[in-house]
Amino acid sequence: MRLLVIEDDATLRESLAAKLTDGGFAVEQAGDGREGLYFALEYPIDLAIVDIGLPEMSGLDIIRQAREKGKTYPILILTARDRWEDKVDGLDAGADDYVVKPFHVEEVTARVNALLRRSGGWASSVLTAGPVALDMSRQELTVNETALELTSFEYKIIEYLMVRAGQVISKTELTERLYDQDFERDSNVIEVFIGRLRKKIDPDNTLKPIETLRGRGYRFALERGPSG
Amino acid sequence: MSSLSTRLLISVSVLLMFFFGVTIVVLDTAFRSAGEQAQADILDGHLMAILAAAEATDAGVLEMPPDLHEPRFGSIGSGLYAEMRDDQGELIWRSRSALGTEIPEGTQPRSGVRLFLNESLLDGTPVLTLSLAVQWELPNGELRPFVFKVVESLESFHAQVAQFRRQLFGWFAAVALIMLLSISVLLRRQLRPLRRIENEIGEIEQGKRTSLSGQFPTELTGVARNMNLLIDSERARSDRYRVTLDNLAHSLKTPLAAMRALLNQGKSESFADRFNEQIDRMDEIVRYQLRKPASSQANKLGLSLVDVEQEVRRLIDGLNKVYHDKGPAIETDIDAAMRFRGDSGDFLEIAGNLLDNACKWCRGTVRVSIHPSSGGKSDGGMILVVADDGPGIPAEAADALLQRGTRLDESTPGHGIGLAIVKEIAESYGGKLEINQSELGGAEFRVTIPVSWRAS
Repeated sequence: MRLLVIEDDATLRESLAAKLTDGGFAVEQAGDGREGLYFALEYPIDLAIVDIGLPEMSGLDIIRQAREKGKTYPILILTARDRWEDKVDGLDAGADDYVVKPFHVEEVTARVNALLRRSGGWASSVLTAGPVALDMSRQELTVNETALELTSFEYKIIEYLMVRAGQVISKTELTERLYDQDFERDSNVIEVFIGRLRKKIDPDNTLKPIETLRGRGYRFALERGPSG
Repeated sequence: MSSLSTRLLISVSVLLMFFFGVTIVVLDTAFRSAGEQAQADILDGHLMAILAAAEATDAGVLEMPPDLHEPRFGSIGSGLYAEMRDDQGELIWRSRSALGTEIPEGTQPRSGVRLFLNESLLDGTPVLTLSLAVQWELPNGELRPFVFKVVESLESFHAQVAQFRRQLFGWFAAVALIMLLSISVLLRRQLRPLRRIENEIGEIEQGKRTSLSGQFPTELTGVARNMNLLIDSERARSDRYRVTLDNLAHSLKTPLAAMRALLNQGKSESFADRFNEQIDRMDEIVRYQLRKPASSQANKLGLSLVDVEQEVRRLIDGLNKVYHDKGPAIETDIDAAMRFRGDSGDFLEIAGNLLDNACKWCRGTVRVSIHPSSGGKSDGGMILVVADDGPGIPAEAADALLQRGTRLDESTPGHGIGLAIVKEIAESYGGKLEINQSELGGAEFRVTIPVSWRAS
């Protein structure tokens, strides 16, 4: 998943980005409002983290413009202002949740995961579909309660597909949202990773968790569990 | 024209000039017309006397006695003259006084009519003339017309009028001057309290005095009292700031000391956790200070009427996003006409903290109701009740919760900061926060704010 972090304090932004990258996200960073707005409108992103007090342009304006331009990805605001007045203004502008500074980075990643789940229609932090369960906070995939050994890229793919269970995801979308920098990477690599995932999750080829739709992309095909 | 007394003096001068001008014109006119009337009466009297003195002779003419009743007719150039002519205009008789004076012939009056005329003698002296034509019955029974004319010089009358005017102007000018002088003296005396207020304020600025003395005329006691209130609230505010800053600085010192101690200990396994704990504590302290009520910072003047329904809607929309996963049902019962008189940020702080708590603890239902505190009138007072169906709060714990956070050092970080803020804001509006058992089974928080309150 590709995240956008707009925060003018470099230390905070970089440590947040580092933590999120560790958490398996591709992260874009913007240090001021104007740059942030450009990223927010032009880049393929799954979630934006926006500081309210930014140079050049206020975070609230960025959120409003993104929403006006039809961007529906979840937005998490960071604010130093703790009064309800400010929180309500942010949520009113189109944000989905807030974190008040100073925060623990873990809290931000938890909120990010929750918002991403929520945007895929999941209510619980553990995504279950049949015998498959994905714990986003622990970055762990289990099948019949047995944890699987996944590379970080394999995890990114299954997370992206499972959060959007039922939707068709194109190879382009996967490469765009999952690679950190260059979009030029060969999309055949995706096929290789999908093949490995299938083998790991479904060695007997009975579950068929990931469907291939020729010319369109992939779909996580298992029925969502009771919590989803 | 910045000075009050200059303005007043100028206005009074203009008024005086107007009134005195009108008075002078009226008096002058009255004096003149009365004088003229008297003059005419006197002339008429002289004419009647001459008529009485005239005697018809057998020759068919009228004769006048050498000495008339009025000595002025006998002295030359006395200013009072008389003559008699026949109907042809031929002079028959002329008083001795008219010797060397040419009396204008004037207009022939009709028979039996008195004709008054303002004329002038050849030398330009203005005169008033009275002519009368009479039919005189001669001893032979014949009727003959004669014209009598009496002439009086107006010089002395004009001199009188001029004298009268001079006196009039003189007196009125004197009166006006005295009035203006006395008004300006009075003004200085009457405006002295204003100057005293100014001086006293100057003394307050210099620190020689703490408030205005309060001994002022009725019109100024209000000003002085309000000024004292302002000074008091200003002083109270700066005191409060000092106490707040003092509290803040001291309460930050403890965690700072703890952090230094941790650093000196060197990095242990729990170092990061314990360090974080102190940072959290400092954060809570700063947070609490930042969220304190706006009402105690501003006074009553800066407040407006808050549309509570609209604000609560915004709040609920926001909370629905934040508590999306839990999805509590938030029921509202809000009087649409309800307005809260105060700061909208303070209102949001009260409602936001209570609703956030309720959403956090509820099982599925939160209920918020807001009504005017004074029987249906939306005049600024408010009763706000937030109830939930969560585990509730036992009475003893509720008391402890309400006690907490009254002083910064005593508040436990991370717990009840929201409630402490709600309580503090409610109290700054002269209201209160109560915690009860709700009908839904959980806790019920009730904030009551009275209609009229004074910013503390």
